Formats: sequence, C-alpha cells, structure tokens
Amino acid sequence: MAGSWPSGSTAERVAPQVTPRRIVVRDTPVDMLVAGTGPPLLFLHGAGGAGRWLRFQDRLAERFTVYFPSHPGHGGSPAAEWIEHISDLAFHYLDLLDEVGIDRVHLVGASFGGWIAAEIATMASHRLASLVLIDPVGIKIDGWIYPFLFGMELPQIVATVFHNPAAALALAPGDLTNIDTLALLYRQNTALARVAWNPYLYDPLLRRRLARITASTLVAWGAHDRLAPVAVSADAWVSRIPGAKLRVFADSGHVPHLEEPDAVADAVTEFCTAHEAMR
Amino acid sequence: MKFYYFHLMPYPLDHDEPSSWVTLSNRHYDPAVGHTLYHQYLDQLEYAEQLGWDGLCVNEHHQNCYGTMASPNVMAAMLVRRTRRAKIAILGNGLPLRENPLRIAEEIAMLDVVSGGRVISGFVRGIGAEYFSTGVNPTHSRERFYEAADLIIRAWTEEGPFPYDGQFYRYHYVNPWPRPLQKPHPPVWCPSQGSSETVEWAAARRFPYLMVFTPLKRIAQIYGEYREACERHGYTASRYQLTVNLPIVVAENDAKAEAIARRNVLWVYNVGLRMLPPFWQPPGYVTEPSLRRVLANRPKLPTELTFEDLEAGGYMIVGSPATVRDKLRVFADELRAGIVCSGMNAGSHEATLEMMQLFAEEVMPHFREDAGVDETLLAGRVR
Repeated sequence: MAGSWPSGSTAERVAPQVTPRRIVVRDTPVDMLVAGTGPPLLFLHGAGGAGRWLRFQDRLAERFTVYFPSHPGHGGSPAAEWIEHISDLAFHYLDLLDEVGIDRVHLVGASFGGWIAAEIATMASHRLASLVLIDPVGIKIDGWIYPFLFGMELPQIVATVFHNPAAALALAPGDLTNIDTLALLYRQNTALARVAWNPYLYDPLLRRRLARITASTLVAWGAHDRLAPVAVSADAWVSRIPGAKLRVFADSGHVPHLEEPDAVADAVTEFCTAHEAMR
Repeated sequence: MKFYYFHLMPYPLDHDEPSSWVTLSNRHYDPAVGHTLYHQYLDQLEYAEQLGWDGLCVNEHHQNCYGTMASPNVMAAMLVRRTRRAKIAILGNGLPLRENPLRIAEEIAMLDVVSGGRVISGFVRGIGAEYFSTGVNPTHSRERFYEAADLIIRAWTEEGPFPYDGQFYRYHYVNPWPRPLQKPHPPVWCPSQGSSETVEWAAARRFPYLMVFTPLKRIAQIYGEYREACERHGYTASRYQLTVNLPIVVAENDAKAEAIARRNVLWVYNVGLRMLPPFWQPPGYVTEPSLRRVLANRPKLPTELTFEDLEAGGYMIVGSPATVRDKLRVFADELRAGIVCSGMNAGSHEATLEMMQLFAEEVMPHFREDAGVDETLLAGRVR
C-alpha cells in the first residue's frame, strides 16, 4: 500500500553529508540516517517514507541535527515482533532518545509518524523542545472514516495520498518484479497493519489524551489531503492540543513535506527555532 | 477410496466488477434466486448420500458470489437431520475470524450429538479476503488460529469448568454443554494453502491436510512435505489424511464433458475467484518465507487460467466415466490420497443430479476396495 514503498538502495539518493547508522535500542536494531548540525530534531516518517532522505530533510539539516530512523519493519530496520500497539512505538522512540543521549528534541512526525509523535507527546512532553505534526492520523475524527489504503491498488493509493502525483515519484518503489522488493513492501505493510489495521489508523485512547501535551505544537496540513481532509481533521487536533498552531499548505495533499518541501521546511524551521530561543 | 461431495453453494453471477469478493455489491444478490439455489444445493448434498457418497462437505466464505455459506454450521445443521449415514464435513470454520471461538466448540458439539457422531470439524484461517470482510487483523491470523484450535480441543476433551488465559481469548469458565459425542473429539481436518507452518502443525496432530483448487503438482509437493513431517513426528500418514480435492465433470463421452466444463468450471476460477490483488494476501497473513516461496513459483492467478491450463495443470477431472476413472486413479496414486472431495456442476440442477448419478454408478464402484473401513478412525485426533 501507500506507502509501504521500500527504501531500496538509498545510497545514490543520500546526499553526501548524510550518515547511515545502525543502532540498537533495547535489543531492537534500528537503521537511522543522520545529518546536519545544530539542535537535535527527530523525524518520524509515514508509511512508505522509510530511508527516503529528500529535499525536506536536507533543508532541516541546514539548522538542525536531523535524526531520521526507520520504524521497525520499515526500510532497513528489521521487524520487531514485540511491537503490538502504537504506544510500543512511542516508547521505542523515547528509548531511542536515551540510547542516542538526547535529552530534549524537536519532534517532527508526518502521517503515521505524526501519530507516533502525538503519542510520545502525551507521555513525555518534557522531552520535547517542540512538536510538529504533518497531516497526522491517529485519532478518531467524528464524521470521517480514513479511506482503507490496505484494500487499494497503487494508482488509487497515489490518488488518495498525493495532490500532485509527480511528488509520488520520490517514494516510488523499486523493481516490482524483484522478490526482495515485494518482500520488503509486504514486511512494511505487515508492520503497519500490526498497529493500525483495526481500529484503522487511530488509537481510541489518544484523542482525550491530547490535552496532556504541553510542548509547543505546530500542526501542518495539506489543503487537498484526501486521507485526512483538513476541513474535518485539523480542528480536531488543534482544538485539543493546548496552544497548537495550524498552517495549511495550499498545493499539497496528505504529504506536504514531499509536495511543498521548501515551504514546509521553512515553516518547521521557523517554528522550532522560535521555540529553541524560548527555552 | 472414500468419496465426499464438496459444495461451495455459489451464486453464479456473471459480472464485470473487478472483484467477486468483499466489494462486489450485494445489490447483485436476489434473495428469491438465492432461495431456489439453496434448496437445490441442499437437495444435491442429500442426494449425494443416497447415491453412496461417504461424506458431505460445507464451508465458510464471506461477502462474495463464489460461495454463499457464510455460516457452514447453519448448513451442516440442515443436513444432519436430513441424512442418516454420511459424514458431515465442515471444511471448515474460520477460527481466527471469531471473537468467541468457544461458540465453535459448542456448535460442533451440538451437531455431533444430534448427528450421532458424524461430524468432521475443519479448522481454517479463512482466505485473505475474509480479513477485509471481518475486520480481524490479518497479522494476528496465525496466532489466533493456533490459540482458538487449542482452546476448542481442550473445551471438547477436558472436563469443565476450567479457566483459559490466552493472548487473544480469555475465559474464567470453559464448560460447554453439550460435549461432543465422538471420543476424544470430532476429527479435525485442516484445509490450507500449503504454508510450511500449517503443514507442520497439522502433521504433528494427525489432522488430515487438504488443498483446494491448486494444481496437482503443487498439491503433490505439499502432501510430500506433510508425509515427511508425519514421519518426523514418529508415524506414517494414513492415506485418509490426504484428499484429492477438485471439480469433477463426467458425461457420457469426453466431448460432452468438456463442453460442460468449459461453461461451468471455468466460472469458478475466472469469475468466482476474481479478486482485487490486495485481497489475496493481506499484510501478515503469510510469513515472509511462505511469501517468497509463492513469489518464486509465480503461479497464474485464477483469472488468468484457461480451460487448457486447468486440464493440463490437473485442477479438475473431466471426461467420460472411463476417462474419469483413469484420471482419478492417476491422481489418487500420485497424491497417495484415500479420499476424493469433489463437487459437480452440470449447469442446471437436474443435469447436476444426473451427473452425480452417472458418477455414482460408473465411477465410484470401481474404487470401493476399502468399503468396510472407517476413514476417520485413525486420523484427525491428537494422540
């Protein structure tokens, strides 16, 4: 599905300054890309985004030390059988911060990664210098059911996720006749389904808990998101997270950081920097 | 050789929708037509007993036109009171699809008691599409299957009440009334798609293993693996642990049989099993080694199969009584199988009854060297 595209061989895509690292977080091996200088920023990818270091990350790395791990079972990170619930992933990333030795971090999550980021923020806002959620899923939206990407073929997935289908090329899977590519796609889908099949793309407990978030929060949304439309979704998030700000990106669908990378990176950088200064 | 009459109870709709499963709108289902079909299908199953078939098979599928037995236990319940001799084989209940699998233990026990111990209880995971129909998380499929099977067999065999504390199913009181009549429990069969994990699981428990609508070569390979697994577990598989399972079309001569098969058998593959690609293998439904094995073999999709593929691949047996006898002998020898599970469809209800009679008179009697044997005696129960 959507985005369970493989990282493939990231080598030729990775800008020279990006360092691939393999770390072990509480017995769970993690592949992680790291680049840049400045305060630490943890980026949590959405489905299909594992290992895809693109312009958005390049831009963030101008001002931050960007840590971009692949979720277990995604990209080069092996599947972790113990992960059965979205909160397992949230704890996994709190453990990752401890493992890397980061006390406070700017946390940026997109889509599925935004869901994990929100869970983390309800648990441990004190570890966050700021929080950015880009078209997050993860809460039940009244009057809306997220379209079931698991039941869709690729063209329909692209049409649901992207406003500008050309942007999808950056996530395009490798050779779909290759068994390793198909096995990776299946592994990624399986890791996603394990925590997101039913309830689909949300945690029934999260919505009420959003009020616990004390980190300064920016919610970024693509104006043409068809998976989680801004009109029904954005207010559900912004109204529940104390003090959260909303920025809408006019030429984007569900993945504005891929569809308008410069504009979103500028907004994130500006927001995080402002809250860096306030510490 | 034992003969089991296998029914899907299809709703034989011709349509151009991309999938016959999950998304095919039920506006295509006409209950008045369904009323007639259900009665014809049940008549066929009852007639099969009269003609000498040893068992009658029903099965569970959801939200599709390929097979309209959403509850196989309901169909089995209709059969147990209208039959006296034949085994009633439920192939099977989709264990992981149930939130309360004790209900399966109860329903099978009821059927077993009413039928006087004629029930065979198939345990299946349900095909991929069923995880889209039910909402059950397919990444839990295998674990739920093993756990539900364990729970059901314990519920049948251990004196209650006892508590059960599993990963998916938890009870303080497991104590189903009634208990099954067959001892230690009704035979369990394991219809599956050839994953090495399930082969091993079934072999360890002496549960007969069967594969449906699969080319003969692949069935032979998997059955070989099953026999090897049985040997590893310290016993030699009985031939009643393996079945020849395919559609049979018999007519007075080969040409007539072929004409019928072209009309009716092809529908099962080209239409009945038409499915959106994502429905075949939902995430986590198969293990990565099993997935890689399937990808390496790259079997044709059912919708890509031609009549010639079905003939050459041994997906079906078609011909005059003499041709069917010869092929059946070859298939049974190749698979070393003691049971033939097959259904028939000659187009109309009346023609199907005639075909069944022809088969019962001209084919079956040639395979009755084991007439006095109870095929369920040594198979289907943990020992």
